[in-house]
Amino acid sequence: MESTVPLSFDRAAARKVVQAERRRSTLIDVGVTLATIFAALLMGFVVIALLGKDPVRAYEALLTGPLTRLGRTGRWLELATNLILVGLGVSIAFRARQFSLGGQGQMVAGAIVAALIAIYVPLPPLLGVLLPIAAAMATGFLLGLLPGAMKAYLNANEIVSTLMLNAIVLRLYDYILTFHLKPQGSETTRSLPVQPTAQLPTFYELLGVDLGRFNLGVVLVIVGAVGVWLLLERTPFGFAIRTIGANEKFARYGGIDTRRVIMLAFAAGGAVSALAGVHLLLGVHRRLFLDFVGNIGWDGITVALLARNNPLLVPLSGLFYAYLLVGGDRVEQQAQVGSELVQVIQAVIILLITAQVLGDWIRAWRARAQVEV
Amino acid sequence: MTQATPFIVEMRDISKVYPNGVRANEHVNFAVRPREIHALVGENGAGKSTLMKILYGMERPSSGQIFVRGKPVSIHSPHEAIALGIGMVHQNFMLVPSFTIAENVVLGAEPARRRLLDYRAAVEITRQLSAQYGLEVDPEAPVEAVPVGMRQRVEILKALYRGADVLILDEPTAVLTPQETHELFAAIRQLVQSGKTVIFISHKLREVKAISDRVSVMRNARLVDTVNTAEVSEEQLARMMVGREVFLRVDKAPMRRGEPVLQVRDLEYVTEAGVEMLKGVSFNVYAGEILGVAGVEGNGQTELVEVIAGLRSAAAGQVRLCGVDITNAPPRRVRQAGVAHIPEDRLTNGVALSMSIAENLIVDRYERPPFTRGGLMQPAAVAEHAERLIDQFAIRAPDGDAPVASLSGGNMQKVVLARELSSSPKLLIAAQPTRGVDIGASEFIYEQLVRARDNGVAVLLVSADLSEVMSLADRIMVMKDGRITAVLDNTPDLTEEAIGYYMLGVKRMSAEEIAARA
Repeated sequence: MESTVPLSFDRAAARKVVQAERRRSTLIDVGVTLATIFAALLMGFVVIALLGKDPVRAYEALLTGPLTRLGRTGRWLELATNLILVGLGVSIAFRARQFSLGGQGQMVAGAIVAALIAIYVPLPPLLGVLLPIAAAMATGFLLGLLPGAMKAYLNANEIVSTLMLNAIVLRLYDYILTFHLKPQGSETTRSLPVQPTAQLPTFYELLGVDLGRFNLGVVLVIVGAVGVWLLLERTPFGFAIRTIGANEKFARYGGIDTRRVIMLAFAAGGAVSALAGVHLLLGVHRRLFLDFVGNIGWDGITVALLARNNPLLVPLSGLFYAYLLVGGDRVEQQAQVGSELVQVIQAVIILLITAQVLGDWIRAWRARAQVEV
Repeated sequence: MTQATPFIVEMRDISKVYPNGVRANEHVNFAVRPREIHALVGENGAGKSTLMKILYGMERPSSGQIFVRGKPVSIHSPHEAIALGIGMVHQNFMLVPSFTIAENVVLGAEPARRRLLDYRAAVEITRQLSAQYGLEVDPEAPVEAVPVGMRQRVEILKALYRGADVLILDEPTAVLTPQETHELFAAIRQLVQSGKTVIFISHKLREVKAISDRVSVMRNARLVDTVNTAEVSEEQLARMMVGREVFLRVDKAPMRRGEPVLQVRDLEYVTEAGVEMLKGVSFNVYAGEILGVAGVEGNGQTELVEVIAGLRSAAAGQVRLCGVDITNAPPRRVRQAGVAHIPEDRLTNGVALSMSIAENLIVDRYERPPFTRGGLMQPAAVAEHAERLIDQFAIRAPDGDAPVASLSGGNMQKVVLARELSSSPKLLIAAQPTRGVDIGASEFIYEQLVRARDNGVAVLLVSADLSEVMSLADRIMVMKDGRITAVLDNTPDLTEEAIGYYMLGVKRMSAEEIAARA
């Protein structure tokens, strides 16, 4: 390995060089991400044109869709809130290099436990919201703890265990909803609504601005992003998580109780992911029904990957991804382009960003250009 | 345009500037005569690997010309280098572990019959090459099952099979035991006799003196000089490499031995595969002494260190530190008891490459004040701690935020050393502390180990480099097949040969004798 420090060593000069290089590399990262998004959009444009559809119209819908009406903007922000919360939870385990895919199950389990309180227990205003939130987080914590302990102490593959656990939780949810929560004689399979004191008020209810179901749950995003950042970057637990993610053998050698930390990283992630479920329950739907969470648990993983598991970038990537999803719906309606094609464009963007291909190309090109001067 | 030339390879006025501004080669002129063993020496980062990567087509020079057999060439890839008869054996072997040796040798240019690999032909080719050049291998053994020395011979055979006339060996002895090094040298001599040319990259001057015909010395990206090996001494070479006088002699004050710090009793260790690696090992390390563990690698030294450090579990026996039982305690408790550990494989165990220097320096103490107060980490304290250790241990780094991956091997080792020594240990375990480290850094590491000893630390030094053990240790313990075969006082009349008998298991002290000295 070649040292990047100049050979004849002058510390002050080296520091300047390195700091300039760090700034440049941050700029390149940002530029590359923007260029990647642009390249993917361009590819989609060409594909739509080749299929004989009107790409300009499709793109107009995709890029302006979420902003064309307040209700759509609200839909975008509400979806982003969900994706960001799951993304934050997922990023905790990912930072310890644990591929926990349990977001979907943790959301659902959190929602159902919160629903039992929010529907059936009359509580005073603030407590009516806080108690279901705490219950959901506790449930998510336990649901993360289980695969975490299995991975840490029994070396059970976390991908398999979290996926299996998701399946179990989703079936259990259907069962409880259908046979216990659905009111007698009801036509549709859905629960009673939550108590009025348990509702997270929408911005229409608060300020009269009709942003659809976008609600005060957005506070969870701000608190969550800062909280997860603090946890990872400013607590000893976060230091242990990051060290394990960087080199598990080194962490163990240094005296970190790697098993305990890995187990708790799964659990902490579960607690945060469950917030998305409680947000759906108290702010968006205000009752439970079948297929309550949709695809959010999975899209949240994409959001975490896009943000490279940086909790301060997760809100940005969540907003971006939700924009793409809502814009995609508009494309379907406006340009008669099938939803499959919209998903293809989305997938290409995600693929290019996560693979960071473009970044490598540009770096290689820069290196060549400089050498051949 | 062919010129009459006495050189098989000539590199003229080669410069290489990396995109990050590092000048790895500056106006280097390097020429190799046919059928010679040409050593290329220099400290880590002096530019020798870059020069050879350019010759092997892995890097492109920023300027300069290359001639092979007098013809100007431009080498764009290892493939083209091989076509010109240039082969390279890297420090990290590039073999498929699950394939047999014969399969590895022919990989990429397989003898085929009806478009399928002709395995018997491959074995036959390997056997013939092996006999022709005196590179003994077992063609049908899988690579993962054979020792490092044989893997290296496989790499050499691979290059020969592809028609290499010029062989570049990149620090070939770094991974070898003394015996394997002897065998390699014999093989190199036989290669040269049968018409090959060898370029031997190293920073071990004793080996360079022993094997090479001519030496080229690199320092700070420049080629200082090329000289006939017979006409220079090791000291002169060292001075050319470092640019100043170096003393690898260690000056030690007389030992002031104190109480026993580490007490190991009847220690047994069995691998998961059921192999007994430690068989009833008992010894003490006292405050203020360096106990050196000598032995051919793979005789239980690694396991001994890792059992004491809490990274492996003993099957039986006891480890006590200042009277406290730490047998099979987790690493945290071992460290709290006062053990510091410079691990053998620092890239795997000793550092997290992607994390910053500052973070690497606190892995064993991040939870304690001043680094954590009131449940929150204190970045200012972490940065200040890093600044202090970077100064104190002369780590060549711009600041504590730089990732460890950006450092050279010697400076990574200093990061480990800084962390472990600053934990004020009672016992310091140093496993292969200077492996892959250049002379300047080795000198520094020696000084630090001796200083720790003079301050009353018990030091357990494990090294495959016998001269290192002999120049540092106060007592020497020899291990063979998981047993202690001798414990010797490191008196001036102790010779390498005397230790060698115990290392090879030719001689062995009686149990009573060992017990009395250990």
